[in-house]
Amino acid sequence: MFDLEFNIRSWSDYLRSHGSFKNADILEMESHLRDEIDELTQNGLSTEEAFLIGVKRLGNVNQISHEFHKVNSEDFWKHLLVESKDPIESRKARTNIILVIAFSLFAGTLLKVPELFGMHLIDDSSMMFYFKNISLFLFPFVALFFMVNHVSSRKWKVAILSVFVITALIINVYPSFSPNSTELLTAFHLPILLWLVTGLAFLGKEWRSSRKRMDFIRFSGETFIYGVLIFCGLMVFILFSVMLFSAIQVDISRFTVEYLIVYGGSAVLMVSVYLVEAKKSVVENFTPILAKIFSPLFLMTMIAFLIAMLILGKSPFMERDFLIGFDFMLVLVLALVLYVISSRGLHDKANVHDFLNFALIVAALIINSIALAAILFRLSMYGITPNKVAALGENILLMVNLGGLAWLYSSYFMKKIEFQRLENWQTNYLSLYFGWMAVVVFLLPIVFSFR
Amino acid sequence: MEIAKDLVAASALPIVLAILKEDDSYGYSIIKRVKELSGDEMNWTEGMLYPILHRLEAQELIDSYWKESENGRKRKYYRINETGLKELEMQRNQWMTVHSALTQLWKTEKH
Repeated sequence: MFDLEFNIRSWSDYLRSHGSFKNADILEMESHLRDEIDELTQNGLSTEEAFLIGVKRLGNVNQISHEFHKVNSEDFWKHLLVESKDPIESRKARTNIILVIAFSLFAGTLLKVPELFGMHLIDDSSMMFYFKNISLFLFPFVALFFMVNHVSSRKWKVAILSVFVITALIINVYPSFSPNSTELLTAFHLPILLWLVTGLAFLGKEWRSSRKRMDFIRFSGETFIYGVLIFCGLMVFILFSVMLFSAIQVDISRFTVEYLIVYGGSAVLMVSVYLVEAKKSVVENFTPILAKIFSPLFLMTMIAFLIAMLILGKSPFMERDFLIGFDFMLVLVLALVLYVISSRGLHDKANVHDFLNFALIVAALIINSIALAAILFRLSMYGITPNKVAALGENILLMVNLGGLAWLYSSYFMKKIEFQRLENWQTNYLSLYFGWMAVVVFLLPIVFSFR
Repeated sequence: MEIAKDLVAASALPIVLAILKEDDSYGYSIIKRVKELSGDEMNWTEGMLYPILHRLEAQELIDSYWKESENGRKRKYYRINETGLKELEMQRNQWMTVHSALTQLWKTEKH
């Protein structure tokens, strides 16, 4: 049975990800397509035939989007910040801009509150406090922003906000004894955990939907890139301001650290989130492009490394620090693979990027297994520490994730499964990361008596 | 008979404006109207019409609004405004000049 709604939806999704269309343009074309289909079916065609002909008449996406691009590119940035024509949408855009400003101010002010109790951002003694808590100051506001913009139930919202509050209480009540490894682990893992909690606010009602989870992965990558770019801008601005005032012997560096960085930093995050949210349907995402550029390069280095190791007959000299290095390699490979997948249509045929992805995963897994064998041997000699447990747990988690992807990829190449299965595997796997991060943040400190 | 690309492009603007002067309309119905007016000789593509509509809107010759049809489908309607009417009048004068020149030439040719 031909599902017209499903097909129209995947068609408009395709336009969204492949063209330079505004959301209103896509709605307009969708209603055009429906009119076309109505007329064709009245003339005696089946819905399937009518759909195919209608889509064909609307034309080659590249061609249309090229034409559209001429119209849209001029006010490309403008329309992110200036109100759109649709009254409902423009009201929404205005409230969102106000929210962004308000939340940046709130987050910045919240960061200043501990100063009342003598905890200064630049003091060595309170550095750890800020490091550990930074995500708690910022992410709740991002979550609130999503709650306003995405559909979710009241219960869901309350639950997410309580998670933030409870987490804040727990991690600050936990003591920390020298050498403070568990506290450092918390500081590193809490942002990941809380970002996933923020993701739950992003997903809202559709938190189980694989497509929506993939959207969140896409969203995170774009926000990261926007954030880095805007942050660079902020740095240039601060350096410029300090330099300008130093010309008249006024030192504003203390002011910039205490105010510009605190408020500017909060604003960078909120603005990036807002821009990515607002432009969702406007431009081709940038992260997949970066991923496609770098994945062949990473693949070459990794293969070269393997060959060099074989020829020289050197087994890698492994220490604990290297384990973290290899975790990092796996994270990178996973990110490259994921973002290449994220820009891919579900029904596309297997292309060169899919084979590159597969090769990248296999190379990473081989290197990691060799490394892991060497490291495990060394680890067993010195007993377990919290750091080792965390690093090892992550390594195994990532390996299983990539292994699963490689396995599914190969069955996909053999045409045994649909590509959807790969996405489902990845989006379901996110729950495991969530679980492990929670274990590291909440359980490991207790197990290792807060040392 | 295939109408030359340049001619299609040049005539698109006055045709769109004149159709909107008759009544507010949306993309799909504009394409049908053009087809009907030209006795099936002119088949505009969507890839050509929508960019024109959006450009006219950006130049503030026409306005747009969303309206629901009887069957609940949301359509983007376009409406010509004062500036648009003035532009159409100007276009009309230009086309009439060209038209009368050609008519005279072709009339004398017949005799």
